[in-house]
Amino acid sequence: MGLYADVTATFAAEGAEPFTVDAAVDVESGETVVVLGPSGSGKTLLLETIAGFHAHDGRVELDGTPIHGRAPQDRGFGFVFQDYALFPHRTVRENVAFGQRYSDRPVADADRPDPWREDWPTTLEPAAVRVENVPLPNPDTLLDSMGVGDLSARSPPTLSGGEKQRVALARSLAVDPEVLLLDEPLAALDVPTRQSLRDDLADVLAGVTAVYVTHDRTTARALGDRIVVMDGGAVVQTGTPEDVFERPASPLVAAFTGANVVPAEDVPAFRDAVDADAEHLAFRPEHVDLGDDAATEPRGTVERVVREDATFRVTVSLGDATVEAFADAPPAVGDEVGVSVPADRLHPC
Amino acid sequence: MSTGSETRLAGSRFGRAPLVAGFVAVQVAVFAAAYLFDRPTLYAYFVVGSTAVTAYAFTRDSFAVVTATAGSVLFVALGLPVFLFVARQQPGLVAEKALDPDVHRVLYLGVYGPLLAALFSLAFGVPLAHLLAEGFPGQPLVESLVDLPLVVPHSVAGIIILFGFGQDGAFPGLSVLGTMTGMVLAMTFVSAPYAVNATREAFEAIDDRLEYAAQIHGANRFQTFRRVTGPLAARGMMTGGLLAWARAVSEFGAVAVVAYSVKFFYLPAGERVTAQHAPVYVYNTYLQGGLGESGAVAFLLLAVSAVIFLILRYLTDDAATGGMP
Repeated sequence: MGLYADVTATFAAEGAEPFTVDAAVDVESGETVVVLGPSGSGKTLLLETIAGFHAHDGRVELDGTPIHGRAPQDRGFGFVFQDYALFPHRTVRENVAFGQRYSDRPVADADRPDPWREDWPTTLEPAAVRVENVPLPNPDTLLDSMGVGDLSARSPPTLSGGEKQRVALARSLAVDPEVLLLDEPLAALDVPTRQSLRDDLADVLAGVTAVYVTHDRTTARALGDRIVVMDGGAVVQTGTPEDVFERPASPLVAAFTGANVVPAEDVPAFRDAVDADAEHLAFRPEHVDLGDDAATEPRGTVERVVREDATFRVTVSLGDATVEAFADAPPAVGDEVGVSVPADRLHPC
Repeated sequence: MSTGSETRLAGSRFGRAPLVAGFVAVQVAVFAAAYLFDRPTLYAYFVVGSTAVTAYAFTRDSFAVVTATAGSVLFVALGLPVFLFVARQQPGLVAEKALDPDVHRVLYLGVYGPLLAALFSLAFGVPLAHLLAEGFPGQPLVESLVDLPLVVPHSVAGIIILFGFGQDGAFPGLSVLGTMTGMVLAMTFVSAPYAVNATREAFEAIDDRLEYAAQIHGANRFQTFRRVTGPLAARGMMTGGLLAWARAVSEFGAVAVVAYSVKFFYLPAGERVTAQHAPVYVYNTYLQGGLGESGAVAFLLLAVSAVIFLILRYLTDDAATGGMP
């Protein structure tokens, strides 16, 4: 049950090599799968292809029903765009209600919200228990629940980025989608707005089936039940956040998820700690312990110390390799320190 | 480009509107004086000189002075003839022509025919513009065809229409020589590119994602056009229609070849009459009655066109800023 997509699509732009996206995503009902990848990895194109915006080969299935032959409007998705894509010539409320006129289902009354949807939108029923003719959420109730109820008569171009994205989220939820597709919904926002919207998104995503595309590993870790890492149009790793962040499949995934990657032969102390015969070892900065105990191996020189919120990020040079660590009481630049990582936190890749 | 000087003007202790009004008033006064003393040449020099001085006084920027002065030379070539044309009309002759039923018919035809051509261009040009904005295989070929009328000499366009739709043409039952159908076809041929290109630009300016957003939330492509892309491109369509209409009003060559005299149903009289398209009629009057008479007719045509143009402009501005259905 849920969404299954295994698609191939080729995109040709003038003056550029054709780019092929060939990737599979499997989303269980009620689950949020984050597609994580650097710019140009094809993650947005994958999402748009699943939505039906681009011609493609392969399969898209919703609860076992093939839907890849259907037009976007018949696939049952909601979509949140990075740049909001609100209709500028319609009011906020008209934007939210836009999709409802094309549905056969009635719209819930604002004064008497449907009883089993009182706590909407945090507990959207999964598709399996959805009943025909259950009312669609009321646009005003939705806007209220997003905290932008007072903006309903406004015109989208007059809103701030955070307000626009809340309206766009309400618009996509108003059609009670089977699956919610989100394309970097936080990327265009400033940091405080991003954090508050991310918290609200976490509430919404708790109750829906969703595919969430982002290049931001913090967001991926915060919101994903599972993570699909993409590069060059293909999937390079799929797993739980724990899998992807602690046990990256390749040095590339390790680097992109913010782990330290060192060539095994450059750091014999680490190589000897693991049995595996691996080219690289990956480990997260938060598992690195910096000490001045002279017996700790390997030893390195502190190159840089940067304040990061409540802690410090310390860059240590181990000859050819560089390691990052977090420390509340950081050593000074130029100090010699011992770098220790628990053997079970060293991941060969 | 203009922000720099606008900021400077806005920053001075005068508002901008009185400044513009003052400049225009001085220009009108000097033109009137030059005309009364029968020395219009002096006004031409004055335009260039006064522009240079004004530009220097308000910007102190030698580049702005050069661009403004050079631009004013073009104004002498374009604007001065119109001023003199208007100033030298004989009111009696204009009034006489304005009351002439023949002229009424000509003006009626000269507005109505182009209107049909513009509507025809829009009705089939808007779908084509949407297609061109989206892109399709073989697009450059279609683009060349659409733009072809822009480079074809207009008398040649008329000949092409006669070959295509006249006797032994594509539709033998269709009569184009000297008919309203022929006139509208000739006008459409020369004006449709304006309607298509202006509308296409409007469609291209719309973010693809707005279309995606409409479709993913339930609208099919017709509904997306009706509720999203169509309304957002409405202004471009109106501009395209206006350009096509204006182009058709001014068409001489193609119409003169296809429909020199046109038989059509004249609504005010409730009967079929024969008249000529306005530019053809003006040329005809020039050949038969000389510059004075043709000038009076031309003046009326210019006035009617300007009024209609301003009304449509006002309406489209209103449609763009006001609420849409």
